[in-house]
Amino acid sequence: MQKHDVLVVGAGLAGQRAALEAVRAGRSVGVLSKLHPLRSHSAAAQGGINASLGPQDSPKDHIFDTVKGSDYLADQDAVEVLCNDAGPTVIEMEHFGTIFNRAPDGSLDRRAFGGASYNRTIFSADRTGLALLQGLYEELSREKRIHVFEEWTAIDIVARQGVVQGVVALDRKNGAIEGFSARAVVVATGPFGRMYPNTTNSHASTGDGTALAYRAGAFLKDMEMVQFHPTCLPGSWILITEGARGEGGILKNAKGERFMTRYAPNKLELASRDVVSRAIATEVKEGRGFPDGTCHLELMHLGKEKVMTKLQEIVEFCRNFAGIDPVVEAIPVYPGQHYMMGGVSTNPRAETNITGLYAAGEAACVSVHGANRLGANSLLETLVYGKIAGANAATYAAKAPESGLTQADVDLATKKLHVIWDRTQGESPAKIRQDLQKVMKENVGIYRTPEELLTAQKKVAELKGRYANVYVQDKSTTYNVNLTDALELGYLLDLAECIVAAAILRTESRGAHVRLDFPKRDDANWLKHILVQASPAGPKLSFLPVTVTSYQPMERHY
Amino acid sequence: MVRVPIEVFRGGAGTPNRFDKFELELEEHTPILTALLKIRDEIDPTLAARYSCRQAICGSCAVRVNGKSRLACVTQVGPELAKRGKLRIEPMGNQPVLRDLVVDQKPFWDRYHRIEPYLIPDPAHPMPVGKENPMSPEQVAQFQETPRCIACASCFSACPALDSDPDFLGPMALAKLFRFVVDPRDGAFHQRLETVQNQSLWLCLRCNLCVEACPKDVRPAERIVDLKWMANQEIGKREAGSKHSIGFAENIQEGGVLNERRLAMDSLGLLGTLGQLPKAITMMRHGRSIKKHPPIQGREQLDVIYNAMSGREDLQHRPMSGEGGVRGKAPPPTPPAASPPAATAPTAAKPRPSGETKEAHP
Repeated sequence: MQKHDVLVVGAGLAGQRAALEAVRAGRSVGVLSKLHPLRSHSAAAQGGINASLGPQDSPKDHIFDTVKGSDYLADQDAVEVLCNDAGPTVIEMEHFGTIFNRAPDGSLDRRAFGGASYNRTIFSADRTGLALLQGLYEELSREKRIHVFEEWTAIDIVARQGVVQGVVALDRKNGAIEGFSARAVVVATGPFGRMYPNTTNSHASTGDGTALAYRAGAFLKDMEMVQFHPTCLPGSWILITEGARGEGGILKNAKGERFMTRYAPNKLELASRDVVSRAIATEVKEGRGFPDGTCHLELMHLGKEKVMTKLQEIVEFCRNFAGIDPVVEAIPVYPGQHYMMGGVSTNPRAETNITGLYAAGEAACVSVHGANRLGANSLLETLVYGKIAGANAATYAAKAPESGLTQADVDLATKKLHVIWDRTQGESPAKIRQDLQKVMKENVGIYRTPEELLTAQKKVAELKGRYANVYVQDKSTTYNVNLTDALELGYLLDLAECIVAAAILRTESRGAHVRLDFPKRDDANWLKHILVQASPAGPKLSFLPVTVTSYQPMERHY
Repeated sequence: MVRVPIEVFRGGAGTPNRFDKFELELEEHTPILTALLKIRDEIDPTLAARYSCRQAICGSCAVRVNGKSRLACVTQVGPELAKRGKLRIEPMGNQPVLRDLVVDQKPFWDRYHRIEPYLIPDPAHPMPVGKENPMSPEQVAQFQETPRCIACASCFSACPALDSDPDFLGPMALAKLFRFVVDPRDGAFHQRLETVQNQSLWLCLRCNLCVEACPKDVRPAERIVDLKWMANQEIGKREAGSKHSIGFAENIQEGGVLNERRLAMDSLGLLGTLGQLPKAITMMRHGRSIKKHPPIQGREQLDVIYNAMSGREDLQHRPMSGEGGVRGKAPPPTPPAASPPAATAPTAAKPRPSGETKEAHP
């Protein structure tokens, strides 16, 4: 049994930032991660991180843009924290050693991004996530007191009487199962986009911590809000950063029209992501797309030098994964699943409804993104709320009673795991995962209908039934991907069920959630979050009011 | 679609080593990772492999493809098959196999942590309060491509020098060290160079296999040459490698032709040279004499070349000033023409992409 004051699950930007804060507050800290920390999905973030550092810009403008981008579903108190801390957060990362692009005067260079009133996206070429992850990991590696458990998969979060006790985890390298007793636990396991086949997310993005917190009794929030990023390479579904449009890239349909003039006459390609994704989907649906069902993103007019210095990774993605040279030809793009606005419900102190359990980053939902996240706000959220989660977990752990995680808890989790692992026949996790992905792609996309959502509900329930018979053929204790695949599929199924249930309930269109049967936003009835809690009968839904401080809902125009 | 035969290494974890053969119908541009996942999903779910982002940014999926260290997610089956007529996938080198394609990366990460991979600010120049350190785009360019490193260990896998000496830090850690050495925010420039100049910098064989293996164009071998150049300037001669390098340059500058007798003395010292006597005798017996050549004609032109090579502005450490300003354009310590130009001659003479080798006409 391992014992820490604070245990962080997940070691991307949010998890590492939480761990750093907790250890510097004097607590003993353990970090569990199923990947080496530098392999976290944070590294895949491309475009940048928002901070209102420009001369005309202000945190107030950033707050307004974020609230508007969220289609007014964001909690404004949480957005205020996010945007007020943005400048200090970016500067701290610079002091930690992050290498950012610079303006000629030596200051941090800024680029334009979707839904933003000013150029406020600080960046490191088109690999800002990697740059931040390196900078933070370097800072973290000074702290010899932190114990990082690399390549451990969490299999249980244990809570009793509403108080967290710790985590049970599987060592991927040798199959050992161990208890991690902790006074406070921070969930920072990132996204769960792998329930979609058309996702920009990494294979590891399976929502482990979010699902385990849900199973332990935590509320999930805003689960119906699934962001589709406008510009992905169809097939591989690799992301082409919004920074490509921020640097001047334009979108065209097969008739050569710059169609965004019709959807967002002012912001054009730099409208919020929900707007641009719907525009591309509509162009293709109405027959103005290219024969391969795409629209084109053009960068050719930007010139080779700009493309090569600011969008270097994009050039390589296009060459490697689509056989295209964006310096001389257009990139075919279509929206793909990119970000989950929903996650473990927290307040602006990163606290969940379970005492001692904290959450941050994409695994969480403090609701700074509401119904639609603005580009370059997610990296910011990981760091701002990762730090808050770490600080509050540390303060709590300093006074909290000893954790009561017992060997019996470990044995119970081990037993549950072995029910799956010891089965001698059944269905492969790969087959069930592929069917889940098909269901989600076909029925829970950019445009939603009640028929499709109900179909999805029925099919996900069927898939959960099949999962009860999932078969792990691989019996090895060493790096058993077949076993972790099966566990991860279980997490995805639980979360998919929540997404579908919340999407059925919300009978309006807001941000990324567009119901063809309810095409308008309905503030009178729906200016509220949907909470999801696990129950023996399945997801139990309830509501939470949206916190409005400064900005009353208005109609959105871009 | 083409029929693609793939041989995949299986073994480790107490099972005997073998190659499993699979045949798949794939598009030619299919990444090898996709092929491996297809094998896992459809044929054999017990195949162990490490992967995550499938877009060359997480660095998880490096393997050896037909003997070469490659990221599985960006290496396409078609061109490899056309080149070699087969696809043989093996785990990376220089790291023990855990199982199948998964290696234990401890040797790799241990070396990374040995270089103190974090900023060590100069206490005399604290970070500016409430604002960023100013850094010009030119200073950012000094990092070369090192910020692109994704720690995939392809270079580490390919490096033949790691075998020979456990002290050698290897290409990735040294490229990472370069990233700190050129960082104007770092105050440990001298100490970092001192450590490697005494230690393992000169164990690099300059075979360039790491450059060939790196999927992100970090070109570790070139960064190592850069470090050698900076260490020779800042620290000077320390052990046989740096002595040889500096001695070589001095030696050539003197007469335009190599004086091997003196070079041996420069590199190895008197005792070391005496230790080489049996070799020298063998060479002489086979008719190879080590004689001193007369200076070449136009030797003085060499001073011009050496002078041009000495002021590599792309490799100056430009620390922050106390006021947080950029001391960026401080003149580099250009030695006078006659002083020893400490450079590893072949690489320093090569034009660099940043094109900042100083023009020096007399």
